Amino acid sequence: MTFLHHHRWLTPYLLLAPGIAFLVVFFVVPLYYLGYTSLQEGTVQVGYTFTWAWDNYSNAFDQYREQFVRSLEYAGIATVAALLISYPLTYWIAFRGGRWKNLLLLFIIAPFFVTYLIRTLAWQNILSDDGLVVNALQLLGLVAEDGRVLATSTAVIAGITYNFLPFMALPLYVSLEQIDKDLIEAAKDLYASSTKAFLRVTLPLSMPGVIAGTLLTFIPAAGDFINAELLGTPNQAMIGNVIQSKFLEITDYGQAAALSVILMVVILLLIVVYTRLVGTERLAG
Amino acid sequence: MTTAAETQPLPRRSVSPLSRAWAFVRRHTITVFGLLALAYLMLPIVVVIVFSFNDPAGRYNYTWEGFTTAHWTNPFGPPFLGDSVETSIKIAFVATIVSVILGTLVALALVRYHFRGRGTTNLLIFVPLTAPEIVLGASLLTLFLNLGTALGFWTIVLAHIMFCISFVVVTVRARLVGFDRHVEEAAMDLGANEYVTFFRITLPLIAPGILAGALLAFSLSIDDFVITSFNSGTTETFPLYVWSQAQRGVPPEVNVIGTLIFGVAIVLMLANVLFQYRRTPKGAE
Amino acid sequence: MKDPFHRTNHPITREQLLRRAAVGGVTLSLPGLLAACGGGGGIEGQQPETEATTVEQVLVDEITVSNWPFYIDQNDDATKFPTLEQFTEETGVKVNYLEDINSNEEFFGEIQAPLSRGQSIDRDIIVPTAWLCARLLNLGYLQKLDKSAIPNIVNLEDSLASPVWDPNREYSLPWQSYITGLGYDPKKVGGELTSVEQLLDPALKGKITMLDSMEDTIGLFLLEMGVDPSGEIDPTAYDEAVAKVQKAVDDDQIRQFTGNDYTGPLSKGDVWASIAWSGDIVILQADYPNLEFTIPDTGGMTSVDTMVIPTGGDVYTASTFMNFFYDPEIAAKVAAYINYITPVKGTKEAITEIDPALAKDPLIFPTPEVLENVYEFNAEAIENVDYQEKWQAVIGV
Repeated sequence: MTFLHHHRWLTPYLLLAPGIAFLVVFFVVPLYYLGYTSLQEGTVQVGYTFTWAWDNYSNAFDQYREQFVRSLEYAGIATVAALLISYPLTYWIAFRGGRWKNLLLLFIIAPFFVTYLIRTLAWQNILSDDGLVVNALQLLGLVAEDGRVLATSTAVIAGITYNFLPFMALPLYVSLEQIDKDLIEAAKDLYASSTKAFLRVTLPLSMPGVIAGTLLTFIPAAGDFINAELLGTPNQAMIGNVIQSKFLEITDYGQAAALSVILMVVILLLIVVYTRLVGTERLAG
Repeated sequence: MTTAAETQPLPRRSVSPLSRAWAFVRRHTITVFGLLALAYLMLPIVVVIVFSFNDPAGRYNYTWEGFTTAHWTNPFGPPFLGDSVETSIKIAFVATIVSVILGTLVALALVRYHFRGRGTTNLLIFVPLTAPEIVLGASLLTLFLNLGTALGFWTIVLAHIMFCISFVVVTVRARLVGFDRHVEEAAMDLGANEYVTFFRITLPLIAPGILAGALLAFSLSIDDFVITSFNSGTTETFPLYVWSQAQRGVPPEVNVIGTLIFGVAIVLMLANVLFQYRRTPKGAE
Repeated sequence: MKDPFHRTNHPITREQLLRRAAVGGVTLSLPGLLAACGGGGGIEGQQPETEATTVEQVLVDEITVSNWPFYIDQNDDATKFPTLEQFTEETGVKVNYLEDINSNEEFFGEIQAPLSRGQSIDRDIIVPTAWLCARLLNLGYLQKLDKSAIPNIVNLEDSLASPVWDPNREYSLPWQSYITGLGYDPKKVGGELTSVEQLLDPALKGKITMLDSMEDTIGLFLLEMGVDPSGEIDPTAYDEAVAKVQKAVDDDQIRQFTGNDYTGPLSKGDVWASIAWSGDIVILQADYPNLEFTIPDTGGMTSVDTMVIPTGGDVYTASTFMNFFYDPEIAAKVAAYINYITPVKGTKEAITEIDPALAKDPLIFPTPEVLENVYEFNAEAIENVDYQEKWQAVIGV
C-alpha cells in the first residue's frame, strides 16, 4: 500500500494494465497474425506455409474489386439513408421531446436488443414477394407488377440501413441534445427565420455528431455480409461475404486474410482522417 | 426628440390563413416524420413478436395461420434450442463480468489521470468499436489457428470479452465524467483513505454506469453472431442456432426467445434508468 | 400424373446404380498425399493417420451426431425423433442430433481446423457426402468402425459394400443415397419441367435457385449438354457448363445458390423452381402439396451420404448407433418419412408393413428406368482445384 503512495504515478498504469493487456493480446496481436496469414499459401490438404505470398493481394485486387467497390457503395448509400432518416428523427426527439425524450430514445435503441439475425430474417418475411408490403408497393406503382423487393440490391441496402440506424442516431442525438437552446433563441431574436437558425446554428453545431455517426455507421456496414446473404442474390455479394466464405467454407486462409487486411487498412485510413478532424480525446466517448 | 412615427408600434405583418396553415404543417411534419421513423424501427420487432404466436402449418413460419400460445409455454421444444441458449447465457455471463472489471478500471484511468500514452489508449479502445466485426472475428481466428488453440466455448468467451471492453469503457466513462469529485474529497477530509473512499463512495455512485455497461456487454454477447461464427468451431450459441435454422425454417420458438431477450433487456434498461434517477441525490448533479 | 421417369435403352439394376454411386468416392492423387507432410511455419495441415487401438466396448451416456436436415423421421411438430428415442430406450444412450450440415464445403470449413490438429470436434458421427468422407479419410481424420458391434452390416446393399475409397467399409457406412433433380411448383412455373435448361427461361427470372454444390448443379448442366459427368470431365465441357450458370447469374436469373435452404423460399412461393434433392420435396409435399419433384430427361445426379466417425468420437457407441439403423425395421421407419434411397437390404419388405404404397415409391426404391438415368459426379473432378476455383467464382465468392 505504501508503495503506491510513494509511486502515485503508477496508479493509472496499474488500472490500465489488465484491460489494455487483454486488448493487446486479443485485438492487436491477432491483427499481426492476420497479416502473417495473409502472406501464407496452401490448402488444408498440404498445410499452409509462409511464403511471402504477395499474390494473395494482387489476386484480391483483381478478382474481388467488384465486391470491394460494391461494399463501399452499399455502405455509403446506407449511411446517407440512415443520416436522412436519423437527423429529423433525433432532431424531433432532442428539440420536441420534452419529458418523453428518454422514452423515445428507447425506441431507437430497442431494435438493437433483438438479435441481428432475427431482425434481418423478419425483413425477409416482411419483404416477401407475396407479402403485404410488396403488394402495397406494387399498388403504389413503386414496384413493378412482376417485380420483387427481396433478392435485389434495394433490399440489401435497406437492410443495412435499418440494422445500422442506431449507430447513426445515437451520436447524432447526443450532439443535438447538447446544443444550447439559448443560442437558437438568440439567433431568432436577431430576426433569423427558423430555417436560417437551423442552417446557421443547429446544423453546424451538430456536425461532430454527424461525423461520428457517419463513421460509426459506414465502417461496420462496409464489412457486413448478413444482409447480402439473406436479402440478396450472388450479384449483391459484398466483400464480407467473400471473406466469410473463404475463411469458413473454402478454407483458403491466405486469400481470406489478405482480403481482410485490405478492408482493415481502408478502415484505418478513415479512422485516421476522423481522428485528425476530431482529436483523440473525443474518441472513446 | 421622438416623433409620433417613432413611438408607434411596428406594423404587424399580415398573417394569412395560408401561411398559418403552412406553419402548422411545418411544425407537425417533423412530428409525423418522427413517428413514422419510430414505426419503421419497430416494425420488424413487432413482426417477430407477433409471429411468436403463430401456429404455422409446416416448418416455415412465414404466413399467419392461427394464434397459439404453445410456443410460449414450451419455448425449448425444438431440439437443441435450449442448449444453445444455455451456452449463450454462460458465455455472456463470463464475458460480462470480466469485461466490466477490466473496462471500469480503464475508464477510471482515462478519466482521472493524466498519463503518457493517453492518445494511444483512446485509439485502442475506439478501434474495436468501429472496426467491422468480420475483421475482428477473422483476425482472432488467425490467432487461434496459428497458435493451435481449440476453437470452442473459451475462444468465444475471449472474443466476446475483447469487444465488450470498449463498450464498457465508453459507458462507464460517460458516467464518470459527470461525477462530482467533491463527495470524494469530503469523504477523505473526514479521514477515509483512498480505498475506503473508492469502495464506499465512488463505486456506489458510478454503479448505474457500470450496470449500464454490464447490460450492454451482456446483450452484445448474447446477440453476437459474426465474431462468434468465426471462433466457435462446432459449439453452438443461440445466434448460431438461428443461422443454422434459417436454412430449414426458423421455428416460432426462436421468435419467443428473441422476444424474451428483447423484453428482459428493455426492462433492465428501464430499471437502470429509474435506479439512476432515485440514486442521484437532489442537487448533487 | 405423367410418369416423369422415362424408359431408356439400357436397363440396369438397382445394384448397378448403387455401385455407380459407390464408385464416386474420391481418390486423392498420390502427390497430394505425399505433399501432406509439407508445411513449415503457419497453420498446420494434416496429421499422419493414427491407427485405431483396441476399442473398449462400453457405451457412453451420450453421442452427438451431425447430419443434414430432413434426413431422419420426425413427429408431427418436428420436436422429436421417434427412431432416436427408440435407440435411447433400447441402449440408454442419449442422442444429440444436430442438423448442422448444410453444405459439404461449409461443414468441412468448420471441422477442418481442429481435426488437422488431431483435436476432437465433439461429434461421434458425421454424415457428409461420399466425396468429403473420402477426403477426410485421406487426411487421416477418421477412426475405424468397430465392426464387431455392427452385425447388421450384412444388410448393406451389395453394390455399396465396396467403394473405391474404403474398399472394406472399415471407416464408413452409408446413411442414405439421394437423387438431385428439379423441385418446382407447376402452377407458378406454368407447366411441367423436364430439363435444367428450362430454369433459364427469362419468365422465371429471379424465381429460381440452384444448389451451391458443384457436383449437383454442374452435373445436371453437363448431362444436359450430353456429357457423362461420372467419367472424366473434359475441361472445355466444364467451362461451357460453368459459363451457362455464370450467364444466368449475370442475368439475375438465379435468386440464390443454396444448400437445403431452397426449401423455405420454395414453400413460401418466393422461389418457383429449384435444383433440389429428392426427399426434401417429398417431405415438403406433406404441407405444400403443390410442389413436385422430377428428374430431368437428360439425367439426374446421385451420391451417398455416409456415416463416419471423426477423431475424438466414441467408436463403440457410434458403431452401435450405426448398427441400430441397419435393422430393416428401423430403416423402413426412416425411409418412410424421409423418402430417400436406403442402403439397407430388407427395407422394402419391412416398409410394406408401414405403408404398402411406399414399397412402390420410385424415389425410395428406384426402378431400373430411374437408376439408368442418374449419375455420380466424377471424384477427381470434385477435387480438381482449378474446377473448384471456377465454380467458386460463379457462386460469387
